[in-house]
Amino acid sequence: MPLSSAMTMRQGHPPISEEEYNIFFEFFYRRTGILFNDKKGYFVEKRLHDRMEKTGSTSFRRYFDLVRFQASGEELQCLVNIMTVNETYFFREDYQFNALVQGMLPEIARSRKIGDTLRIWSMPCSTGEEPYSVAIQIIENWSRADDFAIEIRGSDIDTRVLNEARQGIYGERSLHRLTPALRAKYFQSVGPDRFQLREELRESVDFSIANIVDPLHTTRYRAVDVIFCRNLLIYFDDVSRRLAVEALYDCLSPGGFICLGHSESMSRISSMFQPRKFGDTIVYQKPLGND
Amino acid sequence: MALRKPAALGDTQVMASTIDLATLSLELASLEASARRGAARTLGAVPEAVPLLCDRLAVESALSVRSAIVTSLIRLKSERVVEGLLPFLRSEDTGLRNAVIEALQEMPSEVEPFVAELLADADSDVRIFAVNIVSLLPHPSTPLWLTQVVAEDEHVNVCAAAVEGLAEIGTEHAIPALEALPGRFPDVPFIAFAVSAVIRRIRGL
Repeated sequence: MPLSSAMTMRQGHPPISEEEYNIFFEFFYRRTGILFNDKKGYFVEKRLHDRMEKTGSTSFRRYFDLVRFQASGEELQCLVNIMTVNETYFFREDYQFNALVQGMLPEIARSRKIGDTLRIWSMPCSTGEEPYSVAIQIIENWSRADDFAIEIRGSDIDTRVLNEARQGIYGERSLHRLTPALRAKYFQSVGPDRFQLREELRESVDFSIANIVDPLHTTRYRAVDVIFCRNLLIYFDDVSRRLAVEALYDCLSPGGFICLGHSESMSRISSMFQPRKFGDTIVYQKPLGND
Repeated sequence: MALRKPAALGDTQVMASTIDLATLSLELASLEASARRGAARTLGAVPEAVPLLCDRLAVESALSVRSAIVTSLIRLKSERVVEGLLPFLRSEDTGLRNAVIEALQEMPSEVEPFVAELLADADSDVRIFAVNIVSLLPHPSTPLWLTQVVAEDEHVNVCAAAVEGLAEIGTEHAIPALEALPGRFPDVPFIAFAVSAVIRRIRGL
């Protein structure tokens, strides 16, 4: 059954025609680079109807006009927040964190002076587990950490998860890969199944909004040495993926690295980067030349 | 030293500035590749910039800038973009040619009006590239176009490229043209082998 036919069958909600869905999908794609397929039918439908109800929209057309023409972009941001899935935990795909301290950072450090700044960007960072994992990994496992000023940023298109990241409160599921020693060192219990990252670590990471396919957003991120951009590009279509990768290229310092998710490969997307193998993982390096 | 909090960027929505075509045109010719990349990317939202982007593509040597120009042209896809890109199929630069082929494959409706002319080009290399484009084009006429090439083109390499394309999307309708092909090129044993493999695949044998 086509996506739109399946969607119009929900009871108790204003119907949405196939053409209206097409208009919405094109708009949402153009603004965010996120493309939905038939498998996402119920997911999209439920969230659209929820927002229509919450905004008191009596028809899809009225709701779409709100999203499309609202000067503040507030409702569009609400939609983005509920349409994006955020699933993450500390030290997920940890072989890349090992590659960070055993391969990438030592290599970058060789061309830097003591006291220089090293920049790491986690994008998308969701609720913060990834950038905080990077911070813990560096403190715990990189012997030269004290030689440099290491700046870690986390960014996401979803402002709701950014606020959660700043609070740094997690449940057991997020912490399941941490050793008891690391838990005791970096977290304090703040309630049943609630653990808050200690303030000094929370204060070491900056969180900010970023839409990776929007050049106006990504120009704020420059001279980054390592970017973690894992399991994001797989959700993009070809053009958005190209836009994202080109934006990441500009964000990196010459010789900087991009870490993708384990099922992703840059070689399918772009020939601008050189694949590098560190231990069990392949990462992608921006050439050192002045390009 | 170790961890140091970066300057805050916050959650403020970034607002678009006015696009100034004249300034971006100058930046597109900058000596700095990063400036050219930035201009190319911004121009991806400006339909009037198609000739500008195509002109720059002709002389651009930096891979990253070329990639940004091609991406912007894909975003601007139109028959005008196709017209601007087609001359690059005659380029001696393999990387540029491949980038253009990839770009044209992203715009099936816009390429359609040019397919007949491309497949009839006097240069057999251009016809091969045309077959490469058509083969991956998400367009319902693709099997028909490739079958016509197999039935009519006089160059063995063009036909071989079309046979390869039909391996993925060929239907029963292509079989008569495929079966006739080895007879048209009896001195090229590879053709008979390739045709046989494709027919087996089409028939699900």
